[in-house]
Amino acid sequence: MKNIFFVSIITSILVFGCASNAPLTKSKAYKGIYIEKPLTVLLMPPINRSTNVEAKEYFYSTLNVPIDNAGFYVIPPFLSMAILEKESAYDAELFINAPLTKFKDVFGADMVLFTIINRWDKSSIAANVDVAVEYILKSTKTNDVIYRRKGEVTYDASISTGYSGLIGALADIAASAINTAATKYVDVARVCNTYTFKDLPAGKYNPSYGKDGQELAGKNNFKKRLNSKYH
Amino acid sequence: MKQYIFLIASILILASCSTQKPLYTWGKYDVASYKYLKNRDDKSTQELIKTYKSIIAKQRGTRKVVPPGVYADYGYILLQENKIKEGKAMLLKEVSLYPESKPFIKRILKMLDK
Repeated sequence: MKNIFFVSIITSILVFGCASNAPLTKSKAYKGIYIEKPLTVLLMPPINRSTNVEAKEYFYSTLNVPIDNAGFYVIPPFLSMAILEKESAYDAELFINAPLTKFKDVFGADMVLFTIINRWDKSSIAANVDVAVEYILKSTKTNDVIYRRKGEVTYDASISTGYSGLIGALADIAASAINTAATKYVDVARVCNTYTFKDLPAGKYNPSYGKDGQELAGKNNFKKRLNSKYH
Repeated sequence: MKQYIFLIASILILASCSTQKPLYTWGKYDVASYKYLKNRDDKSTQELIKTYKSIIAKQRGTRKVVPPGVYADYGYILLQENKIKEGKAMLLKEVSLYPESKPFIKRILKMLDK
């Protein structure tokens, strides 16, 4: 009797455990993208809630590449920034909960990307960088959120050249020295953006467009350790 | 002999994993665009122009076309440098390659004519 009881408890734990963690297909997780078939994306200047004042620029300059590489059309970042500045619409906080139809009229944008940097901490000992960032893509047609991912990324800054022994150690030091601060921090933002948008459904210019709905989507909230080798 | 076959097979498997090519290649775009965004001085502008030129000259991605926004942003930078004719030509190239860019390119061209 006891045994049956135990088995049933364990089974139910397993079943429930699976159910709550079961990954969704992309067509379910990002339903709006499959229904609306958006093409053009407007990047809003990132909202920086971290203590690092430069984090905004690190992110803004590396957002377009992974989204373009997924097959979408990102409205050219410098051009769109100039128009946003001219129209006094540069503050993303003002628009995150507001109607976005204006961006459809002015830019022809189907989606608007909001990026919120919540944390950017350098650890002094290991030279790692800890970042917490949230990405929200909203439809300009429905104002609905059609893609949202929130990540906690640890950027592992230790560089290994792969050689061992004294020569290897010297080579590692040399490689670390070449990797200047600005280049490194741009790379931190790059890997966060690249990792997050690897999960985007394929856009119109990607051969997988419309064919990837059954692929499994990544987690909405993720924790990940990445380094400069991530592409 | 068997070992060789195994070795070759593993190399082929590894190679096939890593050959997932992107749609476009961007060279040193990330750092160049950051430096321009941050400094907006002559040095960073010239570096960005150089980067755009090399992206346009050579594409090793699967689409073999210039990525979205490159002609347009390059055109915009040229306009900032007072190279009006060249800049406009680049903006029009963007429109012909990516017709979805027409709404905001038209807006920029209108701003120029004012």
